[in-house]
Amino acid sequence: MLLDRNRNGSEKQWRVRRDGKDKVTGGHAFLTDMGFPRMLYGRVLRSHYPHAIIRSIDLSAAEKLPGVAAVLFHKDVPGLNAFGIADPNQPVFCDSLVRYEGDALAAVAAETSEIAEEALQLIKVEYDCLPVVDSPEKALSPQAPQLHPEGNILHETEYVRGEIEAVFADCAMIVETTYETPRQMHTYLETEGGVFVPEDSGSLTVYAPTQHGYKDRMQLARILAVPEEAIRIISSPAGGSFGGKDELNVQPYGALLALRCGRPVKIHYSRSESVKAGLKRHPMTVMMKTGADADGKLLAHQVDIVSDTGAYATLGGPVLNFATEHCLGPYRIPHVHIKGKAVYTNNGVSGEFRGFGGNQVIFALEGQLDRLAEKLQLDPWELRRINVREPDDPGPLGQRIVPTDGPRQVWEGIQRSPLWKKRKRSDGTTGKVPWIKAGTGVALAMHGSGLGYGIPDPGGGSLRLNENGKIEAAFGHEEFGQGLLTTIEILLQDHFHCAAEDLEIVIGDTDRVPPSGSSTASRTTNSVWQALNNVREPFLAAVYRKAAKLTGIPEIRLQTGPGGIWTTADCGGDKKNLLKRVITYKQLADQGANEPVFSTKFHYPLTPDPIIGAHYLYTSIAVIAAVEVNLLTGMVKIAGLDHCVAAGPVINPPGYLGQIEGGSVMALGFTTMENAVMQEGYYTTKNLDTYLVPTIFDVPEFQQVDAVEELISGDDFGPRGVGEIGTVAIAPAIVSAIRQATGKWLTALPVSPEQLVAADAVISSYLQPEEADRKEKGRDN
Amino acid sequence: MNRPEKSPLLEKTADFSLNFSLNGSQLYLQVPPTRRLVDILRRDLRLTGTKISCEIGRCGACMVLIDGKAFNSCLTMAYQCQGKQVTTIEGISKDGLDVIQQAFLKEGGFQCGYCTPGMIISLKAACLARVSPDFSELKEALTGNLCRCTGYGGIHRVLRRLSSDQNESGRRAVGKDRDADSSAER
Ligand code: FES
Ligand code: FES
Repeated sequence: MLLDRNRNGSEKQWRVRRDGKDKVTGGHAFLTDMGFPRMLYGRVLRSHYPHAIIRSIDLSAAEKLPGVAAVLFHKDVPGLNAFGIADPNQPVFCDSLVRYEGDALAAVAAETSEIAEEALQLIKVEYDCLPVVDSPEKALSPQAPQLHPEGNILHETEYVRGEIEAVFADCAMIVETTYETPRQMHTYLETEGGVFVPEDSGSLTVYAPTQHGYKDRMQLARILAVPEEAIRIISSPAGGSFGGKDELNVQPYGALLALRCGRPVKIHYSRSESVKAGLKRHPMTVMMKTGADADGKLLAHQVDIVSDTGAYATLGGPVLNFATEHCLGPYRIPHVHIKGKAVYTNNGVSGEFRGFGGNQVIFALEGQLDRLAEKLQLDPWELRRINVREPDDPGPLGQRIVPTDGPRQVWEGIQRSPLWKKRKRSDGTTGKVPWIKAGTGVALAMHGSGLGYGIPDPGGGSLRLNENGKIEAAFGHEEFGQGLLTTIEILLQDHFHCAAEDLEIVIGDTDRVPPSGSSTASRTTNSVWQALNNVREPFLAAVYRKAAKLTGIPEIRLQTGPGGIWTTADCGGDKKNLLKRVITYKQLADQGANEPVFSTKFHYPLTPDPIIGAHYLYTSIAVIAAVEVNLLTGMVKIAGLDHCVAAGPVINPPGYLGQIEGGSVMALGFTTMENAVMQEGYYTTKNLDTYLVPTIFDVPEFQQVDAVEELISGDDFGPRGVGEIGTVAIAPAIVSAIRQATGKWLTALPVSPEQLVAADAVISSYLQPEEADRKEKGRDN
Repeated sequence: MNRPEKSPLLEKTADFSLNFSLNGSQLYLQVPPTRRLVDILRRDLRLTGTKISCEIGRCGACMVLIDGKAFNSCLTMAYQCQGKQVTTIEGISKDGLDVIQQAFLKEGGFQCGYCTPGMIISLKAACLARVSPDFSELKEALTGNLCRCTGYGGIHRVLRRLSSDQNESGRRAVGKDRDADSSAER
C-alpha cells in the first residue's frame, strides 16, 4: 500500500494529530517551557579537561554570590553517585577523576540563569591532567591508561558458526573492506531540560522528557536515596528524542538542587552544553571479509567491530550486541565469525540512537554485497535474491524468530518505485552539465524490535471508564513526536467505535500510568496494540453488565459507540448497526462507585532461545536512492529516496509515513554531512553552525513509502513499530548510488566531497572543452 | 500570563524603557537594552510558544515577526524592538487558525512540533511580503528553519497545499511552478 493521502485519505486514516492544534498555535507546553512560582535556574559545571585527576574543588566563592541558592558537588549526593541504564558507572558529580569534557563537577541553583552562570565561573577546580585516550586504537594499546576499574573494554561479543577459515580457501571471490561511521548527534530541536518541583508532601515532581518514565524514577530514587514512590516523573511530551533522552541527563542535577533548595528548579541545556554532555551515535570501525562461490552464494563472513563508547557505559553493551546480531542481515551465510568490542575512551559518551548499532553494520554489510556483486559481475539485487533468507529460517544468531518473509517482500516491492527504472542507466550522464553525474543504489535490511533476549522487556497498559465519563487508556509511554497518541486513539476507536472526544489518553506520568516498559526499540506500537487486545473484553463485559442493569436492555443488544452505549440491530456476525444511544458514558460513570481498572502485564514477544540480545520480531526495508554528484565540488545531491517497508498492518498511515520520511532524512544526514568532530577529547563541533543537519533544500521533495502489510499466515503478533527501520538502509543505498555515478567506492561516512572531486585534468576538460579538444588533437598529430 | 518575573539581575542593570507592541497590545518593560528578545518572551513574559534551540541563528525555532518580517529572536536585542510591532506564534491565531496553521494540521507538517512555531512564522512572513507566494518562494522562506523529525516530507506537503490553495483562489497563477515541482516528484 502506497502511503499517501490520495490512496488512504479518508478522514479516519489521515486524521489530524490528537496533539496537533496546540502544536501549531504555540499552546503546546513542552516540559522545558514550564515555569513555576519561586522557580530557580540550575546550571552544571563541566570538566575543563577530557582526562584529569581532580585535586580540589572550592565552592566557597560561588556560594557567596548574591542570588545563589545552592551549590552542590559529589558530597551532596545522598545515594548512589552514578547513573546509567545498563551499567550505572557515570558519576553524577566526579569526585576524583574526570574522564571526558562533559563530566559534571558541581551544580548551581540561582535566581536567574545569568547568576547561575556567573557562579559557575567562581567555582575553583584544581586538576592534574592525564594523557588523553582519544581513540579506541589508543585505548586498546598495551600502554594506554586504564579508564575504568575493569579496564578499557566495556563489552565484548563473539559469535561463531561453521568453519570460516577453511571455507575462505574455497571461495571464488572474497572482498575485505574496513568501514567507518561518524559520531552522529541526535539534534533533537528541544535540548535536554526540565523542571523539578518539591511538593509540600515531601515528594518530588520531575517534569523532564525521557523515553521510560519508570526507569528514570528508579535511577533517581537510587541517587536521591528515597523510595521510588516519593518521585513522580512526568516525561511527556518531548521535542524529539531519537533515543538520546532515554538516559538521564539533567534529572540528577535538577532533582538534587530542588530538594536542597525546597524550591522549583529549572535546567535547560544550551545547545553547546547539549553537544558536550549529550549522547551520540557510536562511531564504529567495522572490518568485514566476505566470501562467495562463483554463483554468488555467500559462504563465509568475518566481522570485526570496534565501537567508541566514550567515557561511560550507558547502553554501549546492548548497542554492540545489536550490531553483532545485525551485521549478518537477512542473508543465509553458513560460516560466520563475528567479534565486537565496545571500547572506553576520553571522548564524548556514545549511547542509544535510533537504529541502535544497526545503521553502522548494515552500511558495511550492504557495501560488501555490492562489492561482491561487482566482482562477480552479477546484478547486486540479484545477489541479494540468491542469498536472502527463507521465511522459516532461524534469526541471524541462530535463534528461533517469528517467521517472516519481509526481506523477500520488500526486495520485490522496491521494484515498483519509479526510481527503479533509472537503476540500469549506469553511464552517469544526467543530460545537464557534464560534471554532474547521476547514479542509483539499492539496499536491503532487516531490523529487530524489542529489547532482545536477556533484558527485561515488560509491556502493559490499563483501561477504565473515568469519573468524567471518558474511556481512559493509560500507558507508561511517551510522546516525543512519533505520533503515539494518535496511534492509541485509532486503536481505541477501532475497538469501541466511539468518538475521539470520548477518549482520555494518559501517558508519561508515573502517578497515573502503569509500567509499560520503555518507548524505545520500535516496540511501542506493538506493545499498546497487545495491551488493548488484552483488556478490551473484560472492560466491555463490565460496561455492558452495568449498562444492561441500568437500562434493562439485554447485554447482547448493547454496543459502545459515539458518546455512550447504543442498542444495535443484530446483523449477525461481528457487524452490528447502531440504532439508538441508550446511556451516555457520563451517565454510566455517574452511576455507582468508581469503575474498576482493567490492566494487563505481559512480556514483549521474546525468542525462546537464550542468546543474549537476540530478537524475535523483525521488520524489513528496501531502499532505493538516486543521487547527483557534482564532480567540480564533490557535493552530493540526494535526488530521490524511496522505501518499501514490511512491518505488519499499518495503524496510523501519516504516522508511519512520517517515521520513514523523518528516519530516512536523519540517515541522509548520517551519510552525507553529520559528524560531531572531536580532537584530543574536545568537541570542535559546538553548535549547529558547524554540526550540519539536513535542511529542506538537502532532501528529496517526495519520498515514496510502500508498506507491505501482509504477515505470514499464523503470525498474530500484529503491527510492528517503524521508528527505526527507516534509518538503517539509507547509507548503503546512497553510497552505492555514488559508486554508480562516480566510479568511487566510499568506505567512511559522512561522505567527503574531497574524495569525489574529479582529477584536475578531468575538471579542466569540463571547463575548457575546446582547449582539451585541441590538446587531444595535438596528441593525435 | 503577562506578568514579568522578578529578577535581581534584571533590576540591577535595567536602564532602558522598552516600548513596543506585542501581539497587538502595547507593552512597557524595564530591561537591559541588550536583553535578547527570546528571553523577554520566554522568561520575562512566559510566552513560550517561541522556542529556543541553538541561540546563534541557525535553527529558526525562535522566529518572530517584527513589523511583519521574520527575525530570529535569539539574535534580536531589546533596543532593536523599540517602537516595533512584534508578533509571536501566540499572536498568529488570535482570530482563529491561520491558513498556514491549518495546512500544518491537515498535512501533518510536524511531529514533535518544536520547530513548528518558527516554521509558521517564517511562512507567514513570506505571505505578508508578497501576495500568493508560489511553492519555491515559500520554500525559500524556510531556508533558516530546521526540522529534525519530519524529514520535511510533511512540510513539503504543507507548501504544496499552500501554493495550490492560493492557486485555486485564482489570485495568481502558480501552476508553472507547481508543474515543475511535480515533475521533480515524478
Ligand atoms: S534559537 Fe534562534 S535560530 Fe536557533
Ligand atoms: S517536528 Fe520535531 S523538529 Fe520539526
